[in-house]
Amino acid sequence: MKDILVVDNLNMHYETLEGNVMAVNNVSFTVKEGESFGLVGESGCGKSSVASTLLQLQSDNAVISSGSILLENQELVGMSESELRKVRWNDISIVFQGAMNAWNPVIKIGEQIREAIREHHPENTKKENTEKISELFKIVGLEDSIMDRFPHELSGGMKQRAVIALALSCDPKIVIADEPTTALDVVIQDQILKEIKKVQELLGLSLIYISHDIAVIAEMTDNMAVMYAGSIVEMGPTSSIFTNPRHAYTKLLLESTPSVVGEKKKLRALDGEPPSLINGLSGCAFSPRCPDPSEDCSNGKLDMKLIELETGHWADQCCVNCG
Amino acid sequence: MPFPVMHSLTYFLIPNLPPDAYQKVLETYGLDKPLFERVQLYVVNFFKGDFGYSYKYFPKTPIELIAERLPRTLMLFSVVNIVAFYTGFFIGKVLAWRRGSKSETWITITSVFSYTVFYPWFALMMLWFFGYKMGWFPIGKFLYPEKWYDAPFDSDVIFSMMIKFVVIISLLQFAAYTATRGIEALSSRRNVRFASLIAIFIGSYFYWNTGEALARKPYAADIAYHMILPVLVVTIVAFAGTALLTRTTMMEVLKEDYILTARAKGISQKRIRDRHAARTALLPVVTSFIFTIVTIIDGSVLTEQIFSWPGMGQLLLQAVLEEDIPVAMAAFSFVGVFALIAHLIADISYSYLDPRIRVKSQG
Ligand SMILES: Nc1ncnc2c1ncn2[C@@H]1O[C@H](COP(=O)(O)OP(=O)(O)OP(=O)(O)O)[C@@H](O)[C@H]1O
Ligand code: SF4
Ligand SMILES: [Mg+2]
Repeated sequence: MKDILVVDNLNMHYETLEGNVMAVNNVSFTVKEGESFGLVGESGCGKSSVASTLLQLQSDNAVISSGSILLENQELVGMSESELRKVRWNDISIVFQGAMNAWNPVIKIGEQIREAIREHHPENTKKENTEKISELFKIVGLEDSIMDRFPHELSGGMKQRAVIALALSCDPKIVIADEPTTALDVVIQDQILKEIKKVQELLGLSLIYISHDIAVIAEMTDNMAVMYAGSIVEMGPTSSIFTNPRHAYTKLLLESTPSVVGEKKKLRALDGEPPSLINGLSGCAFSPRCPDPSEDCSNGKLDMKLIELETGHWADQCCVNCG
Repeated sequence: MPFPVMHSLTYFLIPNLPPDAYQKVLETYGLDKPLFERVQLYVVNFFKGDFGYSYKYFPKTPIELIAERLPRTLMLFSVVNIVAFYTGFFIGKVLAWRRGSKSETWITITSVFSYTVFYPWFALMMLWFFGYKMGWFPIGKFLYPEKWYDAPFDSDVIFSMMIKFVVIISLLQFAAYTATRGIEALSSRRNVRFASLIAIFIGSYFYWNTGEALARKPYAADIAYHMILPVLVVTIVAFAGTALLTRTTMMEVLKEDYILTARAKGISQKRIRDRHAARTALLPVVTSFIFTIVTIIDGSVLTEQIFSWPGMGQLLLQAVLEEDIPVAMAAFSFVGVFALIAHLIADISYSYLDPRIRVKSQG
């Protein structure tokens, strides 16, 4: 299958008064056509930073020091704002974390979706746009009358469904969903996840699904990457990672989650805090929390690099060697 | 003994009053009646809009005086407020958008200066500079009396006409704006709006060059010319509050998630600024703006005194200083009613601006 998105050696940091926050370090991954790709990791490991960089929507203090993002062979890093505007939503759209606040409180839902379509398809008539929205609403399970409502008149779940409709409004090739179900109750969460899965398969979309919950990733994705402290530590087919995790962090992450696959295990708590990302880290960032680090791990002599273990299953070489 | 009232009455009107005339005056003003009846009468008359007669301009009633003065004040201050609101809002919006740039710093400093400057001093300086030193604008008065010597009509006729004109123009503009909201393609919407603006311009050109309005044009122009300096000065002082407030609220709004969503949608910067950020930041700005409208009349006291503009403010001040009690009472009551109306307008405009406070009429 065709590669839709190729991220290569992406490095991004935030400039702050305390120093540089190295939020994205040497991140490389590829998303194929129709594939669902998961990004998992603890809070603060840089998942949202990756997402915003993909759309070049990172905050003003963010600096991309190197790397490339190829979206259908177009380089997004360094692209001008006016060209980016054409790419955004038309080729790549996003459901932001906390998508409940994605709606402008004083504009009707339908108008906010129509606005996006109008920007990319100015030739459409109002009727065509309304039909398009109505079609999308049908897919995500909303009534047409929602179009004429204001955001405050909708429940959280409805807003979230509408956000998904919004993300699909310009027929993008790839959609990023950054924890789209936080702040929803479990039942609704489940419905929304099913909805996303259904839409993705129905439209043959590529999807990047971001979550801190590895169980959700298991359900939603074909391939996945595990992030720790701004770096990808393990990456590969979801099934392969779940059955045969190679990095110590992935193992712990799986053990700390109530039985996803396979037999019931005793839960293990993930102790300690993720490290501060200020001014970067040397050696294995996970070593302070690692249950059995080798000698080389703690003295920081290790060279961090992903190596391919089986076809498509990558993990940090040092962890593979010592663990 | 209604001494204080009679004191001022006799003092200003008729110094040596014969006793029977004194009795007559008492009867005219109903002062011979018992206190309770007088209060009752006062309350009833108040709601009938009957404030008696002015002591100073005797045969005229306070209501007549207000009717004569009010258009002058409204004309001056509605123009000031509209101009100040638009410039203030526009500047505040641009400031928030360009946060951190050099121009932002300088404009903010200027705004803070004009917001905090001692207003009478500033107004007098401007008057001295533009009116006296440069001689560009007239000093004081709202018209050249020599021009109006043989005018076939009163100045309030012209004033009401100008006010009507301004109101109709704004309503037309608003109607055109509302009517074009349904047009889907942005560029044709813009074109239609531009065309409607041109049409309004052409329409007003024809209006002022035909029939009755043509004869009145030089007089209206005279008044407009006299308005320039006061409008300029008050605007400079008044816009800054709106600008600074807009800047603050909009900087908050710019941090909201829906601004990021709008950027992700590929919406143009200008449209994000105007449609998403400024539109949502409008509410607190409008609130404070309505409160300035409430203070138009009391606020006009100072301005009208400095620019010798014979409007409500001057009427109020003179009535108080010269103890023209019926006029003062009528004027103050009017200020109160005006404030109530302004607040009503504020409430209505809120529901227009913010759907969250809109009350559903149907279930
Ligand atoms: N604008 C910013 N300026 C400075 N630091 C930032 C900025 N945005 C994020 N960070 C820091 O970058 C790191 C990564 O943040 P990011 O939001 O990408 O994490 P995340 O993996 O999405 O976490 P979560 O699961 O909580 O959403 C964090 O340490 C965060 O404090
Ligand atoms: S590299 Fe060493 S310290 Fe780091 S996770 Fe692997 S075993 Fe633990
Ligand atoms: Mg996040």
